[in-house]
Amino acid sequence: MRPETSVGIIGWGSYIPRWRLPLSEIAKLWGFAPETPRGLNVVEKAVAGRDEDAVTMGWEAARNALLRAGIDPKEIGAVWFGTESKPYAVKPSATIIAEALGITPDTMATDLEFACRAGSEALRISIGAVASGLVKYALVIGSDTAQANPGDILEFTASSAATALVTGPAREAAAVFEASYTYVTDTPDFWRRAHQPYPLHGEGFTGEPAYFHHIVNAVKGLLEQTGLKVDDFDYAVFHQPNGKFPLAVAKRLGFPKEKVLPGLVTPYIGNSYNSSALIGLSRILDIAKPGQRILLAPFGSGAGSDAYSIVVTDKILEKQGKAPKVDDYINRKYLIDYATYAKFRGIITRIR
Amino acid sequence: MRFSIPRYWRERHSHYRLYAKKCSKCGRVNYPPSNICRYCGSTELEDYYLDREKAKIISWTIIYPAPEGFEEQRPRIIALLETLETKTHIIAPLTDILPEEIKEELIVEPVLRRIKEDREAGLIHYATAYRPVIGSIGTNKQ
Repeated sequence: MRPETSVGIIGWGSYIPRWRLPLSEIAKLWGFAPETPRGLNVVEKAVAGRDEDAVTMGWEAARNALLRAGIDPKEIGAVWFGTESKPYAVKPSATIIAEALGITPDTMATDLEFACRAGSEALRISIGAVASGLVKYALVIGSDTAQANPGDILEFTASSAATALVTGPAREAAAVFEASYTYVTDTPDFWRRAHQPYPLHGEGFTGEPAYFHHIVNAVKGLLEQTGLKVDDFDYAVFHQPNGKFPLAVAKRLGFPKEKVLPGLVTPYIGNSYNSSALIGLSRILDIAKPGQRILLAPFGSGAGSDAYSIVVTDKILEKQGKAPKVDDYINRKYLIDYATYAKFRGIITRIR
Repeated sequence: MRFSIPRYWRERHSHYRLYAKKCSKCGRVNYPPSNICRYCGSTELEDYYLDREKAKIISWTIIYPAPEGFEEQRPRIIALLETLETKTHIIAPLTDILPEEIKEELIVEPVLRRIKEDREAGLIHYATAYRPVIGSIGTNKQ
């Protein structure tokens, strides 16, 4: 029996900031062709406020996941925080969230980094930790206030959001894992050097040898390992750096658009990096029915992808209404201009 | 460093979770926490965290001259709130709201936010602010 089958998702939750920047503002300021946002299939991006960061967003996503889990926070034995926008370069974010949620002190806690898939690596590690009996429950968080060099094409999509999952014993779960598979190589598609404020990327190199190669191979690995076929899945969620790539990779793997659209959040809020694929899963769990099977395939630059097969149980119905849904946050929005966005994200240099 | 590190650390449970003391005799919540109930004088009090309660706005003030460390959050909005379950009064900053959106009786909920930071290299201070419950205030355009 695979270790995954004894582990499931006990609670899930997301967070999206209220503020939205219409991408037309970026195109206008930096002189891009007006149709650029349409080419990316993204309309607006979520922007964290001046008093928000990856920790505060991760806290709210985790609070929502705990509401759905319905467990005593003290029972959590690990808090793993995946991000590439840590508020501190040195000092764990995970301990701040663990303390603020009443999980400390009898717990593991650390931050993970692997571009956009640190949170997903945390999820795979948590499966191992729960399956082995090392911990009863683990709290996995993916949260980012994604940075982009102002005027770079990346600025259109780099957004802010967070998603958290509580993993634990399958018998208590709203959805159980069937199998998981990881595919990583050393591929230099996107990086940020130490002390640099913004990441750089290899333009077109981010697509074929990075995003597509790794996701396709992770999903193929999962399908070969399990004997499952594309038709066995009701939903497919991929990492969503823009609104086009997930649909393109789905087509390549044979998934129809209808199975991808329910988990496609980037057109409304942009790419929230470590929350990018996970918020798609979160939105599907908000509406999923018992017995449905979900394919989850996050991707992180540098590069790697994980593929998970997840089956929804009867317990999902009692949990769906216990916390705000992804769509509640998508609909909570207030449009801002570029100047406000620049202030909120610290793009304007001040002496402090 | 401009702000005391030990003080921030010592008060972290009050900042993060609104740590308070609930009187076992009269049921009132003492916030800030006290070992003697300031309402009935009892010394039988238990730990209580106000972060589990929503609250309503009673009154508020908009502060334009920001103190040191708060310049980027100008204007600050500070509200007098009453929690919905234990009717505890609390003074806290509001967030995710514009001055023109505030009104009496608006229901708000506690969230963790960056309240201030000690210049570029010092500590970031996290604490509780209140924001309108999801879905309670509108958007500006479609």
